Amino acid sequence: MAALFGRTARQALCRAPNGVCCQQKANFSFKKLSTGKKVGLGLLGATTAGAVSVGAALQYSVSAMDLILHPPHLPWSHSGVLDSLDHASIRRGYYVYKQVCAACHSMDFIAYRELVGVIFDEDEAKAEAAEVMVKDGPDEEGKMFERPGKLSDRFPNPYENEEAAKAANNGALPPDLTYIVKARHGGEDYIFSLLTGYCDPPAGVDIKEGTYFNPYFLGGAISMAQALYNEIIEYEDGTPATQSQLAKDVCTFLKWTSEPEHDIRKRYAIKFFALMALITPLAFWYKRFKWSVVKSRKIVFKKY
Amino acid sequence: MQGVAARSSGLAQVLKATARIVPSKVEPLGAAVIQESLPFIEKPASKTHSNYALASQLPPSGFLNPRVMSGIGVSCQYRLAHTDLQVPDFDYYRKAPKEADDSIEGDNNRKAFTYLMLAGAGAPALYGTKTVITQFVSSMSASADVLALAKIEINLDEIPEGKNVTFKWRGKPLFVRHRTAEEVDKEAAVDVGSLRDPQHDTDRVKNPEWLIILGVCTHLGCVPMANAGDYGGYYCPCHGSHYDASGRIRAGPAPLNLEVPYYEFVEDNLLVVG
Amino acid sequence: MSLVSVVYKSVFRRSSTFALAIVAGAFGFERIFDPTCDAVFAYINRGKLYDDCKATFAAQGGAEEE
Repeated sequence: MAALFGRTARQALCRAPNGVCCQQKANFSFKKLSTGKKVGLGLLGATTAGAVSVGAALQYSVSAMDLILHPPHLPWSHSGVLDSLDHASIRRGYYVYKQVCAACHSMDFIAYRELVGVIFDEDEAKAEAAEVMVKDGPDEEGKMFERPGKLSDRFPNPYENEEAAKAANNGALPPDLTYIVKARHGGEDYIFSLLTGYCDPPAGVDIKEGTYFNPYFLGGAISMAQALYNEIIEYEDGTPATQSQLAKDVCTFLKWTSEPEHDIRKRYAIKFFALMALITPLAFWYKRFKWSVVKSRKIVFKKY
Repeated sequence: MQGVAARSSGLAQVLKATARIVPSKVEPLGAAVIQESLPFIEKPASKTHSNYALASQLPPSGFLNPRVMSGIGVSCQYRLAHTDLQVPDFDYYRKAPKEADDSIEGDNNRKAFTYLMLAGAGAPALYGTKTVITQFVSSMSASADVLALAKIEINLDEIPEGKNVTFKWRGKPLFVRHRTAEEVDKEAAVDVGSLRDPQHDTDRVKNPEWLIILGVCTHLGCVPMANAGDYGGYYCPCHGSHYDASGRIRAGPAPLNLEVPYYEFVEDNLLVVG
Repeated sequence: MSLVSVVYKSVFRRSSTFALAIVAGAFGFERIFDPTCDAVFAYINRGKLYDDCKATFAAQGGAEEE
């Protein structure tokens, strides 16, 4: 069956075109049409094109998604293919998170031990962990108890559970910030723009009680009040704590929390590119070498 | 030709009317032609021998001069007899004669170069493979959060003398016992030969003041009670095993002494188990 | 007899020694390649990595403890 089909198909492909279709081609011409028919055809074509255009325009009409200010691309110090994160900035960002964001936002997936070798040495990280009280247990009597944090503990959650978080924030749940840079379109550009983009609502926009206007937020009304202002905290390294500096540092920190492997990945990128630059030309040369025998042989057919 | 046509009958006639074989560079013979053929214009032999150059020396294909035709409703089969094709010249691929060195030395040099190139690609490739495999294999080892919990730090200042404190370590109870001088002397004086699982007290402790053992009865895994039993050490409430103050089995069904985990004293008052 | 010939005859000619040479080469390659790449990375990102910031962090940590 397949063979028959293949044969038929091949036959159709290989058949020499006969003259009939060429003749038809010659017949299909506007030359013989009357002027009225030409105008009619033209009108029909124009109407069809117009109808299609109107349909397309209606199809892609303004959608609510477009009413959002897209964040500009910012020149992060880690944007490049081989650029690492700025660890001094991560450290400043950690303090911003701890003193500002952590009041409402959790960061459930980062443990204190992960800060070692990134922004703290081991003793500093232990001291940092010991500042928080962690619920542990049960003890011998089956009761839960509180103890100072250890390196293996994760960042504390400001609320007991989601419901408590919602109840404390007008029903809006402050998202967990661990992977927030990965979870939002625009990544750290978006977070930065959001943190620094609060402004008065334009005329005609009603903002409900308990929400705030932010042009970068979908819908414009965000439940989080502006959190960063100039000089709300003091940096230990003396960097001026302007609003944009605070936002930049906390964004770098959030970038690190969502991609703790960031620096390792880029370190491997260098190795990968260098290794490939070495191997690829050699592989091509070796292919040419092996093929030279095949390509330069002569096949001689003899008659016996 | 006529013979072929005459022998074909039935379906064969529909399939193929005639077959003919013509020299490739010669204009097809006129005999059984149904469609008109254009005269074939021979092109001058090409100097290069690329696929394209060689192919362009063949008779052109097109609907008036088909290269291959066969099948239902096809009137003519057209074959090329490749007896007059010249063998291409492959000198283009060859090394220039002056480069060729037929001496053994020259041969060795050329081979050494080739193998050097191969080794030069092979060593980095092997390194890359090794790195990738190491990554995958190491992903099977314990993850960082498990390793972080594998060790426990205990501040010994908080444990007064004569007291046994229980910690949770790797999901099991860990006993840390601050032994009194009498207990130390008593356990050290026990005759090893009289024990079910003979082990001297000094083999079970690094610092005689501190006994660190897993609180899991070696009989059926209950948690023994501290400072109880006939030998002043531990007593398992499940089936009545008595352990002494060195965690050694003295009476009851348990076969072995309580297990001593790996531990070390980092500083004078800081114990790390695991 | 040139050095190349000696190397060819003693190492490259037998498959076993050739394979050994590649393995040895891979080890040597790793010892040079890894530090070089890390140095390039450290150079591109000088001032940003933890090792560069460690000293300043230590100074700040002391100030913060007070």
